[in-house]
This record gives sequence, structure tokens and C-alpha cells, in this order.
Amino acid sequence: MNLKQILRDGETWKGIIIILALSLVIGTVSNLGLIKKFLQGEFRRAFFTSADYPGLVFITLPEMEELWHNQKAVIVDSRPASEFRRGHVPNAISVPMEEVKSGNYGLLERLSPGQPLIIYCEGGDCLTSLNLARLLYGRGFRDLRVFSGGWAEWLAAGLPVEKEDGGY
Amino acid sequence: MAVINNRNFLLLLRLIVGGVFIWAAVTKIADPLAFAQDVRNYRLVGQTLSFLTAIVLPWVELIAGICLIIGVFPRSSALLISGLLVFFIVLVAVTMLRGIDVDCGCFGTFSRKADLWLILEDSVWLALSLVLLFSPANDFCLLKRSPKTS
Repeated sequence: MNLKQILRDGETWKGIIIILALSLVIGTVSNLGLIKKFLQGEFRRAFFTSADYPGLVFITLPEMEELWHNQKAVIVDSRPASEFRRGHVPNAISVPMEEVKSGNYGLLERLSPGQPLIIYCEGGDCLTSLNLARLLYGRGFRDLRVFSGGWAEWLAAGLPVEKEDGGY
Repeated sequence: MAVINNRNFLLLLRLIVGGVFIWAAVTKIADPLAFAQDVRNYRLVGQTLSFLTAIVLPWVELIAGICLIIGVFPRSSALLISGLLVFFIVLVAVTMLRGIDVDCGCFGTFSRKADLWLILEDSVWLALSLVLLFSPANDFCLLKRSPKTS
């Protein structure tokens, strides 16, 4: 049989439709609990339940700004070091997730599990802040906040920027 | 060609390719949220589509793998599996070109990086599934079709 014959064969498509329909039905039925949670608004920012990571929360720009202003938390920048050098939230610590992933766990020694941490990355659909938060959770950190608006939102709001030379 | 049309060889191929897809599916079904996050990490689709993919795709892999092994709609299964593999290869290539560093998500927690080796590995699986797609494998079907005159 050649491809043309296979694609013209009604039996081929019948089989594919049956397999896809079965998958849809079984997948839906076996994940009703998760689907219900999704429809209720969970997993809109990340795929984990709050029960899996108690203490890990997402914060908005006003919350981020307030915590930064009052110096109530250590701010962690999970973007690449080169991005950090170009500009970052004042007083933030650079912990590039790509370097941590490559095995440079020494970077994490600058953080203490007793401190509240705010982690941010580029913003938009960046995921390194969340991934770093999950990794830190696994290492005993329990007060973790992810600023999902990230660097893009901070910059767009016209908030202070610190550069490598320390200037604002 | 004699080897490729050998019944035992084809049965072995079906067991291997089907088995790999069943294994890949089971690791994903065990933790749908982790797989959804893996899909999301490719930054190709948003949260909703990542979630839907994680709910349905592992079952497509599982059922296609089982069908391939037991010989129910073997050609449909081989076509589906080949199509999925082509998609995976293109996806990994595009992800590499975009400079995104992700775990492939292929085998749940046993996943590795989406890199050139993965493309090669998927290409081998694709070659094997194409052999099954174009082979006269109906000898081993549980549901045999009546021969057609064409």
C-alpha cells in the first residue's frame, strides 16, 4: 500500500476517528477532578495545586511594589546574568535559573529559607521564576512569591531601575 | 524487503513501537499537571491548550500503542503514531531554533532535554513506524478485513 491508498482508505480514517474519540472520552472522564478545577480558574498561571506548594503565591505589581518599597522581602531575579546587568529591580539578587539548571547550585546559597522571597523573570510567558520557586520549595523554602508580571511590567510602570554600575 | 515483510519482524516492530508509546503515555497519565507544564514550557500554546493537550494526548498515545500491538486498526495507529512523531520532530527543531531550553516531556519524570539527539531518536522511531504503516501487516490483526479487489 502506498500513502495515497492509505489516505484514501476509509478504514484508516475510521480507525483514527475511533482512537481520537476514545482518547477524548477517557481523557475527560479520568481527569474530571482536574477539569473541574481548571474551569474554576485554577492552573491559569501554573500547573500545580496550592496543596502541592503551600506558601507559593503569585503577586501583582502593586503588591510587588509595596514589598519592594518596604523592603519586606528579598527580591530574586531569575533572568540570565546578562539581562540582569542591563537593568533590574533595585536591590534584587541575580540567580539565573539557566545557571542553576546547569548545576551551579552555589548560587542558591545566597538565599536563606527563613526569608520571604519574591522571584521574577522577563514577564509575559517566561517560566524561570516559577521554575526557580518550585526548585527552592524543594529545598525547604516556604515563603515564596512569584511576580508574574516580571521585568516587563516593572519597566512599563516606570518604576526605578538599577543597572550594573549601581546607578538608578 | 524480504526482512521488512517478514511476519515475525513486523510483529516485533509493532511490539517495540507500540510498547514505547504505551510507556510514554503511562508516564504522562500518571501526572497530567506535570505534563501540562512540560507542554507549556515549549511556549507554543497557552495554558488552556496545554491543559487540553495533557488531558487527551497521552490517551491517544496509549490507545494507538495498544491498537498497534493487538492489531486493531494497525494502519490507523501507525499513521497516528507517525504523524505524532513528525510533529514531535518539528516541535523540537523549532524549539531549538527559538533558543528555548526545555525538557522534552516525552516520558514524564524520565524526560530528557529537547535537543538534536532527541530529533535523531524520534527519527528512528518514525522510520520504524513508517515501515509498519506501509507493510502488509494485516496478518496479525485481531480484526481482519475482508480482502478487497482494487
